[in-house]
Amino acid sequence: MSGSDLAEFRDTVRRWCRAHVPAEWRTTQTGATDAEFVAFQRDWFQQLRATGYAVPHWPREYGGGIPIPEQIVLYQELAAHDAPRLVLAFVAIHHAAATLLAAGTDEQKQRHLPAILDGELWVQGFSEPDAGSDLAALRTAARRDGGDYVVTGQKVWASGAQYADWCLLLARTDPDVPKRKGISYFLMDMRSPGIEVRPIRQATGESHFCEIFLDEVRIPAANLIGAENRGWQLAQQTLGAERGLTMLELAERLGNAGFRWLVEECRKPGPLGQRPVDDAQIADRLARLEIELAGLRALCRDLVERHDAGAVGPADASVVKLYYSELLQRMTDFGVEVCGLPGQAVLRKPMSGGWESGAWVLDFVGSWEWTVPGGSSEIQRTIIGERGLGLPREPAGA
Amino acid sequence: MSGEFGEFHDELRTVARDLLGKTGADGVDWPLLVRAGWTGLEVPEEYEGTAATFTEVAILLEEIGRAAARTAYPSVAAGVGALSALEPDARRDTVLRETVAGTTIPVAVLGGDMVPAAGGETACAGTGGIVPTFLLTETIEGFRLSGSADFVPDAPVATTLLIPARAPGGSVRLVFVEPGAGGLRIAERQVVDATRSLGRVEAHEVSVAAESIRPFRSDIRDGLRVLYDRAALAVACDSLGIAASMLDATVEYARVRTQFDRPIGSFQAVKHACADMFVELTIARRLVSGALAADGTADRSRAVSAAKSFTGEAGVRIAGKAMQLHGGIGYTWESGIHRYLKRATLNRALFGAPADHRRVLADRYRAG
Ligand SMILES: Cc1cc2nc3c(=O)[nH]c(=O)nc-3n(C[C@H](O)[C@H](O)[C@H](O)COP(=O)(O)OP(=O)(O)OC[C@H]3O[C@@H](n4cnc5c(N)ncnc54)[C@H](O)[C@@H]3O)c2cc1C
Repeated sequence: MSGSDLAEFRDTVRRWCRAHVPAEWRTTQTGATDAEFVAFQRDWFQQLRATGYAVPHWPREYGGGIPIPEQIVLYQELAAHDAPRLVLAFVAIHHAAATLLAAGTDEQKQRHLPAILDGELWVQGFSEPDAGSDLAALRTAARRDGGDYVVTGQKVWASGAQYADWCLLLARTDPDVPKRKGISYFLMDMRSPGIEVRPIRQATGESHFCEIFLDEVRIPAANLIGAENRGWQLAQQTLGAERGLTMLELAERLGNAGFRWLVEECRKPGPLGQRPVDDAQIADRLARLEIELAGLRALCRDLVERHDAGAVGPADASVVKLYYSELLQRMTDFGVEVCGLPGQAVLRKPMSGGWESGAWVLDFVGSWEWTVPGGSSEIQRTIIGERGLGLPREPAGA
Repeated sequence: MSGEFGEFHDELRTVARDLLGKTGADGVDWPLLVRAGWTGLEVPEEYEGTAATFTEVAILLEEIGRAAARTAYPSVAAGVGALSALEPDARRDTVLRETVAGTTIPVAVLGGDMVPAAGGETACAGTGGIVPTFLLTETIEGFRLSGSADFVPDAPVATTLLIPARAPGGSVRLVFVEPGAGGLRIAERQVVDATRSLGRVEAHEVSVAAESIRPFRSDIRDGLRVLYDRAALAVACDSLGIAASMLDATVEYARVRTQFDRPIGSFQAVKHACADMFVELTIARRLVSGALAADGTADRSRAVSAAKSFTGEAGVRIAGKAMQLHGGIGYTWESGIHRYLKRATLNRALFGAPADHRRVLADRYRAG
């Protein structure tokens, strides 16, 4: 791909963004109802899909096939134009798709990948009340009964379960082997009888994650993905696989709109007319964050390129996740400090965005959505230490 | 990076590590380094060089930091940069050839206490941009050079000084001066870091021949700034090497040192500290590559400032953590960690402290 082709692609994306990014979405999505949020997300997804920008990372035959350098440009431009994110379809286009592509039968792929493009939504049902960081301790049990598996148990923190059509479900199929060896991976229809979803109110006041109660839910054996009792390996593989690309988008957003908001906040005159940005210490901290963002963005691009070349190291995704989430936290914390009391009175933030919206207090509280899930920062550091640096593992049982 | 390039870089790195590994406290053997082609690495083939780029030189600079080696090579690399930024002529070409051959050690006289300019202010003068601290005047007998620069890396070992000076008329020129010239004084500057040689260069009415006063190439816009950025980036490479070596040493130690019947690396507090060192080093590496890639673009200075300030701090923090995680051994003279820690603190201060570089970046936020 030559530089001029890339520049042309950038122009095309720019023109598309100017024509399609809804100008007022931040206003209309602030205080939107659930129904309005879902309708908006569905519409935005279809607009992106029509141009081939919804799933650039999928194989061409399923509607993707945009090469990596163009994907980088695409995410840069979407971020620069402050486009809404595909938050609702996130698990569907990333986790579900990666899992299907890695281990799905032809039938499973044909059934779901086109459906995802038509709007099928997915939830990830991994965590349980007693299985968070130690995910392999999960207890939800699936027992074979004729042509079905019968599943009973409880999942928790399942983001978007209230909207989901399908669930990526991990359940124990063999209780008598070491815990990682008896887990299977299922595609579960959320309309099956025996499923109850209860939204949980979260720290920001919203309810995006849910409990899922499973009572004798029947899953056809054809919906097992990968081999029985091999679910753990598949989950590990597909969890890490997509991290590069999703992080690229998030890093670009943090570096564009996210940082712009911070600078704007620092330029707002305070009660005595003084601007925070004119304070040398504030300016220094802003510059420090800009430098960190430059490093993060370069790191993400590097990861994506190595991902494409099949040269990703065992802890690379953890490095990016850890750095992104803690930088997000530092930035939003700084925003809270600068915005002062007026910022405390900003009670709503727009939906459909990222974790940075300029509603600093809510953004800061919301930043724990990154340092806790998907392997907490502590877990990431352990992964980096053990798999990245080869340090000795904790003794078992310690 | 293409595969071929990658292999060349790996080889360069291995050779460098090998060569530097043989180094004692007295420093790197200059003839050995010359034979290895280091002084000609970035020099065009017509002057007997290898015609590689600063990216390759940067690998050597990082390895020198990794070894905390005592050598004038970083300064000579800067000197080669300065020579290459000049219009070719007989004098310049000779010095360039001699540098490749190892018979001349050219050092660009850049004060290590120079800071990048923000909003027209500089530590050296008040006229905006990086400005020379030396002045050329013209008298009936010829040209005279006066001025001074402090904390100039490797000035005490230079055989040719390339002194940036403001010429009559206001333009900036590089002046070739021999260390023995009348009116020139080079005083060694003792610093805590024993792996470096720094000097204060003072010129009092040094008379210079017109041929020794050279203009920058016409395609180079702010020549002095280019040299300054390069010097700052070279220091960032050195800090990167320091950080990498301190992380390696710490990880190695944490694997084998046992306490409470366990390797200390299996304690989460230790493991997580190592993970943080690694993450910080990774970001520093990306910023340095970014600055190397920005060479010749409008973003160069900003990318260098980002790399220099981040890496300078990372170097100190990582070397400090290394000392901590080595326990009592780390605090001994013998462990050698102190050499890295001291060098890292010098690096952080050299050619602009982190906050100086951030001030340049921050200037843009105020507008609007
Ligand atoms: C906003 C949000 C959305 C989520 N979405 C989903 C979803 O869609 N699907 C899903 O399946 N799950 C989801 N999760 C669950 C998430 O993955 C878990 O919360 C996470 O893995 C942590 O598990 P836990 O909550 O049980 O905390 P715990 O594992 O109990 O951790 C508590 C604390 O102990 C620390 N800790 C635990 N073990 C170790 C260790 N070995 N070493 C060091 N420290 C340790 C943790 O870092 C943490 O600080 C979501 C969580 C949140 C907050």
